[in-house]
Amino acid sequence: MDFSDLSDEDLWLQMQDDLYDGMKEEVAAETREALTRGFSPQEVLGQGLVAGMDIVGVDFRDGVLFVPEVLMAANAMKAGMEILRPLLAETGAERIGTMIIGTVKGDIHDIGKNLVAMMMEGAGFEVINLGINNDADKFLEAIKTHQPDIIGMSALLTTTMPYMKVVIDALGEEGLRDTLYVMVGGAPVTETFAKAVGADAYGRDAAVAVELAKAYMAKRRAA
Amino acid sequence: MQPITYNLPVYDLLTVEGVARVHNMSMRILRELGIDFYDDEARDILRAHGADVRGDTVFFDEELLLKYVGMAPSQFTQLARNPQNNVNIGGNNMVFAPVYGCPFVQDRDGGRREATLRDFQNFVKLAYMSPYIHHSGGTVVEPTDEPVATRHLDMLLSHITYSDKAFMGSVTSGNNAADSVAIAEIVFGAERIREHPALLSLINVSSPRRFDDRMLACIKVYARARQAMIITPFILAGAMGPTSVAGTVAQLNAEALAGIALCQMINPGTPVVYGSFLSTIDLQSGAPTFGTPESQTALYISAQMARHYNLPFRGGGAFSSSKQPDAQAGYESVMVMIPTVMARTNFVLHAAGWLENGLVSGYEKFVLDCEILGMLHTWARGVDLSDEAFAMDAFAEVPPGGHFLGTAHTMRHFRDAFYRAELFDYNSAEQWELNGGHDTYDRASARVKQLLASYEAPALDAGVAQRLHEFVAQRKAAIAVEPRDF
Repeated sequence: MDFSDLSDEDLWLQMQDDLYDGMKEEVAAETREALTRGFSPQEVLGQGLVAGMDIVGVDFRDGVLFVPEVLMAANAMKAGMEILRPLLAETGAERIGTMIIGTVKGDIHDIGKNLVAMMMEGAGFEVINLGINNDADKFLEAIKTHQPDIIGMSALLTTTMPYMKVVIDALGEEGLRDTLYVMVGGAPVTETFAKAVGADAYGRDAAVAVELAKAYMAKRRAA
Repeated sequence: MQPITYNLPVYDLLTVEGVARVHNMSMRILRELGIDFYDDEARDILRAHGADVRGDTVFFDEELLLKYVGMAPSQFTQLARNPQNNVNIGGNNMVFAPVYGCPFVQDRDGGRREATLRDFQNFVKLAYMSPYIHHSGGTVVEPTDEPVATRHLDMLLSHITYSDKAFMGSVTSGNNAADSVAIAEIVFGAERIREHPALLSLINVSSPRRFDDRMLACIKVYARARQAMIITPFILAGAMGPTSVAGTVAQLNAEALAGIALCQMINPGTPVVYGSFLSTIDLQSGAPTFGTPESQTALYISAQMARHYNLPFRGGGAFSSSKQPDAQAGYESVMVMIPTVMARTNFVLHAAGWLENGLVSGYEKFVLDCEILGMLHTWARGVDLSDEAFAMDAFAEVPPGGHFLGTAHTMRHFRDAFYRAELFDYNSAEQWELNGGHDTYDRASARVKQLLASYEAPALDAGVAQRLHEFVAQRKAAIAVEPRDF
């Protein structure tokens, strides 16, 4: 892939287009090209990746893009982020955020949770997807390993929903609760339930979950 | 209760060759890709009976699979507390059961809210009072005000106390399934339920291609106690299956047959129902969609596959994504219920009450669905071609241009000649306005109140009732001291 004849402006546009079209290898190559040209990781993130995903987000919301297209775009975003993330960390730039997400113990239903993980990656978050059937210890272990900003828990079954409280209580016992933003979701989950178990937020769908996560990170950076 | 038998031609959507192609694809999935079973003992059983087990994944060859599927009865009788309400499952029989599993309820006056045990009991009462609902169902709503660990006991006790129709067992854990069997033994007798099942329980496959530990624990308990199960893959095509009807049906067929074979390996002859819960997602938003044309095609084909293996079939229901009993709810529900009947579905879970993709049991929706079920009863009965039905004596009485309102034939039949919907309005516009200009939602709301106010509980033997309450109290006390993390 040769981008040498593209102006800087055209490179950003090409990057946004390729992101929109879910072209993972192209987006990775363009990310490297922009870095080679001397742009800071922060600039590449803002003018290339985030600008592209903003268009994806709007078109998804407006019913232009379909879920499989958003998935491809999110994968392309992830490919770009994998290159940028270590550089952003080195420069001490503000982090977009890290999330640990999993379905709670006893529950193996994870389609919705995977959709949330995908949308979060599309928004630039680093997502550690613990998969299904996670007990409190698994969440605690992953928190210690990955130092996330956000914990996401999901359940489809009314019989497994109460386990979210077990995890939240365990976070409290370990002294981790106050530094983490706890988000819950799943078909039977409600705002009321989220409050009752002591979660910080309830994401009624994937797009709302991403908005909540972004708002939290912005607030945290401002604090 | 009015039992329903299907006397019309069964709608076979596929040719014989089409059925063979679905079958062959399912066999390929089972042979080359396998199905995951998240239970050590279940995999040991499968291995001991000749399946190829590698890690969690179990591979079946066609001969082995069909040998065990062939041991399942093509028809069976489920016992009800009132023997007149026993239900035959299979053949030309159709059984309509209420909605299942909803954490919320909805009605006109109270809106959408979390379901309670009281709601559970109300829906059991409504199902008991409808002549068109043949079964008390299972988790008609999820009683979220009761502790998770003991909820199943309250639900079973409510089915038995407030209805005398057949009911479903708990599938939330192996222990809860064992409690269900113990309760059925108290009500029906331990030996009797081994001859005819008293429980019919809903085993879901967590598609694609996996049975979870809870469901497998329940399969083991129920198969050993010879209680009936519905093995139902739950597939929203596009997410849990491919975006094509043929592929999704082949997947469903493979998953259902694998579960049915396991039941027969555990206890040959265990009554099972081939289940299909197959709808689509909106690929634009990711939301589940019901009443879509593709899901109806898939329903017809899965019913046809069940007939191919000579197994009773479960599928369909009064599905909708709507939030209230409005036009969308009515259209979508009927769009599914007609194929459900024309596919000759033997057990129709969710035949009444379903709203909002199954998250909500709707009170008014329930009684409105029952109205449609009544019409479907009449329709499924088929056409009477007797001399009396051809009414020669009526023609002889009425001259050209005359009317039939006063003939002897009319006098013999007028009361039940045509189905009369109680919740639909047949008045003139003026009369309708004079009556208050109510829509179906209003009328259904009044109907729910009237039904619940006039409910009378069926008789329950005092000795049985006492033993049941003792059992429930003893189990609740035991569960209270069991180690549990929530």
